[in-house]
Amino acid sequence: MAETQPSTFITLASNDSGSVTVERAVAERSMLIKNMLEDLGEGAVASEIPIPNVGEQVLKKVIEWCQHHKNDPITANDDDSDSRKKTTDIEEWDQKFMQVDQEMLFEIILASNYLDIKPLLDVGCKTVANMIKGKSPEEIRKTFNITNDFTPEEEEQIRRENEWAEDR
Amino acid sequence: MPSLAKPPSLKELPDEVLQHILYFISPDDIIFNTLLVSKRLYALSIQPLLWRQHCRREFQYWDAKHRIRQKLGGEVSDVDWKSLYVYRRKVDQKTTQLLNGILGSQVDRIQKYSDMTGVGYDAKDTLLRHCRTDDNAEDVLARRFYATSVLDHLHRSQALAEWQKILDGENISLERALGSFDLFVLHDHHGDLLEISEVFDNWAEKLRLENPAVDRLPMREKALLVAAFVRTNDLVGCGSDAYRDLRNSFIGIALQQPSHPSLPLISVAIFVCIARRFGLDARSCGVPNHVHAMVFSSKTESLDGHDRERYDDDLEQMFLDPFHTDQEVPIENLWRFLSTWGIPKSDFPRFLKDSHFAGLILRTSRNILASIQEFRNRNGDNFNHPTIQLHANPFADMENAFYAALWANYMFGRPTMYSDAYNQRQFVPLILERYERLYPMDSDLIERYICPLFNNPHILEHLDLYEAVRIVRVVDQTPRQERNRDNTSLTLGVKFRVGQVFRHRRYGYTAVIIGWDSECGMDPQWIETNGVDNLSRGRNQSFYHALVEDTSIRYVAQENIEELSHLDAGEPLMSIAGRYFKRWDDQKYVFVSNIRDEYPCD
Repeated sequence: MAETQPSTFITLASNDSGSVTVERAVAERSMLIKNMLEDLGEGAVASEIPIPNVGEQVLKKVIEWCQHHKNDPITANDDDSDSRKKTTDIEEWDQKFMQVDQEMLFEIILASNYLDIKPLLDVGCKTVANMIKGKSPEEIRKTFNITNDFTPEEEEQIRRENEWAEDR
Repeated sequence: MPSLAKPPSLKELPDEVLQHILYFISPDDIIFNTLLVSKRLYALSIQPLLWRQHCRREFQYWDAKHRIRQKLGGEVSDVDWKSLYVYRRKVDQKTTQLLNGILGSQVDRIQKYSDMTGVGYDAKDTLLRHCRTDDNAEDVLARRFYATSVLDHLHRSQALAEWQKILDGENISLERALGSFDLFVLHDHHGDLLEISEVFDNWAEKLRLENPAVDRLPMREKALLVAAFVRTNDLVGCGSDAYRDLRNSFIGIALQQPSHPSLPLISVAIFVCIARRFGLDARSCGVPNHVHAMVFSSKTESLDGHDRERYDDDLEQMFLDPFHTDQEVPIENLWRFLSTWGIPKSDFPRFLKDSHFAGLILRTSRNILASIQEFRNRNGDNFNHPTIQLHANPFADMENAFYAALWANYMFGRPTMYSDAYNQRQFVPLILERYERLYPMDSDLIERYICPLFNNPHILEHLDLYEAVRIVRVVDQTPRQERNRDNTSLTLGVKFRVGQVFRHRRYGYTAVIIGWDSECGMDPQWIETNGVDNLSRGRNQSFYHALVEDTSIRYVAQENIEELSHLDAGEPLMSIAGRYFKRWDDQKYVFVSNIRDEYPCD
């Protein structure tokens, strides 16, 4: 493991010709990069690794997160969503980290999804979930600039389907 | 690759990410809000996988009608999980409303019990939540008491339905047949029929892990291995000094107690239930005084794993006594034993065959009655005696166990045309007496299981039975007469109020006042039997109805009441006071009344 060797650095190339040099162990928080490095062998470590879906600014932000969480235990990649923890709690550092504009928030979510960094994807999704929590449909539309494409009849129909709500 | 020209918004996130976000949003927020945002969010919000998760997270207990295990094991898209979730939420809401109705008024409670248990086992999650109401809740005692009481009714309904299956010739497992007794005393504890089966599954898994070759062993060796396993793990037997402990007759309690104490019948059942999980044809054998286990060969294979083609149709058999030993019991030993009981040799086969479940249930019910009998004879005045401790208030549970035994005797007793000691007819008045006193909510069970058998005016019991149910229902529907303190000379003499805890001056028990009369309201015969006129103030003093910590209700003269003004009520009283009280007031040291419809001034 990394502790026994001198740490190696790798360089990631963003899609807008930026490049970020980072400790290999940090970059390997991304399952995509980790698998890529394993597949390509040691030779690849020397050359730049293209990250075609992510811009430099976002990449740096993502790496910042990976740096901070470098020593977190790797959680098992559990695809059974039934067992996923329900908690929407976000630790303090991550909360601060996520205090960005919506555009950057979604960029981070997309990047973590693409780079396969599950814990960061979770933090991003929880942040969005917390923005949705307790809001009416109209408030949600407003927050995220979504157009209502239901007819009033369709809306009524959906309300009726779920009417246990009445004396909530 | 998404175009970066347009800044991403929620709309630009791929479905998989949006779905991931939805997993972090509460079901209520989804149903009332996100569903209605847009067509895309609607489509993502009704995904079965999401709702299967909410169903699993929020609801632990499911009525058998849902076949929930089958559903969970199958394709997620085959089930409309969202509708199922919404259905369960409706049940939850309705159950809570009905429970609130019971808490709110003493009138018309029976129908509410039936309505709640009418939705079946789905109501259990909601009831459990109310059973665990927070200590600080304004009606904590009442809410816990009635939630438990409804749950008890639900469990009893399930137990009787299970026993009815046996009578109808359905195949059910031995653990369910005997576990039905547990349902009468379970309350909000772990150990219902499914949970008992799970405990057995876990033990079987442990045995298989320790002995990976078990499934390949010949039957005899397998049986001996199971016997050794239940004995090394202390799953059978009981401490010799505690043989008649009431809990020893309950298979679910035995399984979950650290030392697993049980009577031979239950020990054998534990052996049988594990052995059957390894494909053995294991059964219980009702040897007098000490139940044994039997294991049968198959038609084609002998117990030692040889071909049986040349043998006749009679199955080979072996006997075991897991209560005492992990060895096989030679049949000669059993013959000797039967001889000492004076049983003629020609009768041996009758005793050395497997018992019907009915027989085992009856025998268990008699074991329960024997425990209670012994307890009453020996220690009638000793509270908290360990002999009857089950899950909750020991006296209440003793009544529950007694009631279970009566029902078992009624269901499996000999049909009414016989008139011997175990005629089921005999048990009807005994059940009715308890029904009227303690279990009026069981009206539906009486009507379902007892009334049809006497549905003929020519049968002697017909009138009593139908009249008893009618009166219980009428009383339930009649508003209580208000007992006001009107400051007339009569009520001015009533010194104590509903909720007052006291010690009986002569008998020493602790009790709480649940009602009063300005003078003795009993008939002359009661007055004479109880020597009321020998009291220093005779019958012309206030009298009080009182709930005693052993769950009985007594009628006490004012002069015998010694107020306990600065003491806590004590655990036994706390556990039953919810029947009449909302909570304990630890400033005033009284219970807060929940029967103001009857005593508005108290």
